[in-house]
Amino acid sequence: MQILILLIQIAVLVAIVLLHVAYATYFERKIIGHMQVRMGPMIVGWHGLLQPIADGIKSFFKEDIVPEQADKPLFLAAPIICLVAMMVSLAVLPFAKGWALSDINIGLLFIFAMSSLASYGIILAGWASNSKFTLLGGLRSMAQVISYEISLGLSLVGVMMLSGTLNLTEIVESQGTSFFGMYIFSQPVAFFVFFVAMLAETNRVPFDLPEAETELVSGYCTEYSGMRYAMFFMAEYIGMFVMASIGVVCFLGGWNGPFAVSFFPPIWFILKIYLIMFIFIWIRATIPRYRYDQLMAIGWKLLIPLTLGNIFVTGLVKAIVN
Amino acid sequence: MIIQYKPKRDWLETIVFLEIFQGLALTLRKLFSRPITRQYPKEKPTFYPGFRGQHALVRDSESGTSKCVACMRCAQVCPSRCISIRYHQDDDHSPRIMDSFDIEALRCVYCGYCVEVCPVNAITMTDVFEYAAYDRESIFFDKEKLLSNWDDFMRTSGYDQETYVNPFWRPRGLPDSELTAASRLLPVPDDWRIENQFIGIRSQKPEDRGQENKHVG
Repeated sequence: MQILILLIQIAVLVAIVLLHVAYATYFERKIIGHMQVRMGPMIVGWHGLLQPIADGIKSFFKEDIVPEQADKPLFLAAPIICLVAMMVSLAVLPFAKGWALSDINIGLLFIFAMSSLASYGIILAGWASNSKFTLLGGLRSMAQVISYEISLGLSLVGVMMLSGTLNLTEIVESQGTSFFGMYIFSQPVAFFVFFVAMLAETNRVPFDLPEAETELVSGYCTEYSGMRYAMFFMAEYIGMFVMASIGVVCFLGGWNGPFAVSFFPPIWFILKIYLIMFIFIWIRATIPRYRYDQLMAIGWKLLIPLTLGNIFVTGLVKAIVN
Repeated sequence: MIIQYKPKRDWLETIVFLEIFQGLALTLRKLFSRPITRQYPKEKPTFYPGFRGQHALVRDSESGTSKCVACMRCAQVCPSRCISIRYHQDDDHSPRIMDSFDIEALRCVYCGYCVEVCPVNAITMTDVFEYAAYDRESIFFDKEKLLSNWDDFMRTSGYDQETYVNPFWRPRGLPDSELTAASRLLPVPDDWRIENQFIGIRSQKPEDRGQENKHVG
């Protein structure tokens, strides 16, 4: 019986997240359109509201092309690895108090592990397609994820030191309900590093080198078509969603808001996620892509020393206060 | 011209990402501005006099057919050589009689030279631009098609048959004495006279230019 309830909960969560992903693309196209003084999708439905559904139907019924020279099993498995790894991390997110599917005590570590696993999908896709562009995209993705995973993890060490736990629910609770209790005020440097590393980790502009359209056609997913291409797309958007949730949980006070909404507790959590998603899109509409050596220089020479310094100062202050 | 370089940013501006935030402010401001998109199939563009669209041969109201005298000037001036004309002459001193007049519109670059050079105002261009087709044959205009283009255009556009070609399509910047009789100004309003016409947007008065832009937007 309990398993049945859990299965229903999982199905509901996945359905909601997939719907969210579909409309995140709409949100992105509309915002970028208006920032570029265009209108974005306008034809399908009122102001293009049915566009994501039309896109979904289109990619579902498109032909699934497998290149002749491709490594077929890996080629077919790569998008699934990517999508599954991203979706699994949804299980530990606390949308409100007690609203996590499984409230495990190493939640933060679990999400790091899963987001690294997703980059396996990307690398395998790049390798299995047997094409120059996809291989370069996969290599870039690997190098980028390895470099930025370190600063991402180190930036959250400060949060772990303050809260003393890896459980996401407890991290939220340790921030308290007051506005200035949010860790963004006590860990501003960590938040900055986390934000930059988050952009790189989700392969978003200005760190979208793995799928740099101007250089690599479409990077690791060049050879994919139809539903498998859509799966990479979904994985990217779920990745954005998960990373934004981590940011909200660790720095912006999770589900706590100015006042409690009793009939729908996750409302503040969702609003904060939308805020971060908006910033993602806003940055995409503004900043051009970094050069590859700049990307590496930022990761290794700027972000990692910054986080190490941040950990040192946090530890020092904590020792003195205690 | 002296090139104005931006001053190099100092270390403080680098640390606070001044330029990135300036860019973000710009895109945020544009988010709330009005889009300039024209939703084309639903919303047609506005036409201004002299729009270079589909070709037409002017139907002479007296003879009921084309005014063309087969002088071949349009065929010679055409940069993409898309006009081909055949004519015959009974003897050296009799007038040329045009047999066929073909325009291969897929090769046309819509420069409008043929219209400007025509001494008798026989060929012109219309406001029609939506004539895409699935085969080449229907975009190859022969004499009958060109004449019917003119008839259709006159029926639907509401321009005056007598004054459409002459003031709109006469060569710009030449005094009347150097033009052929058909290209000289008809008795038309004063702002159609040479001295009141402008060539290109730069010679327009600035306040007029502003109005023009508002019109387009």
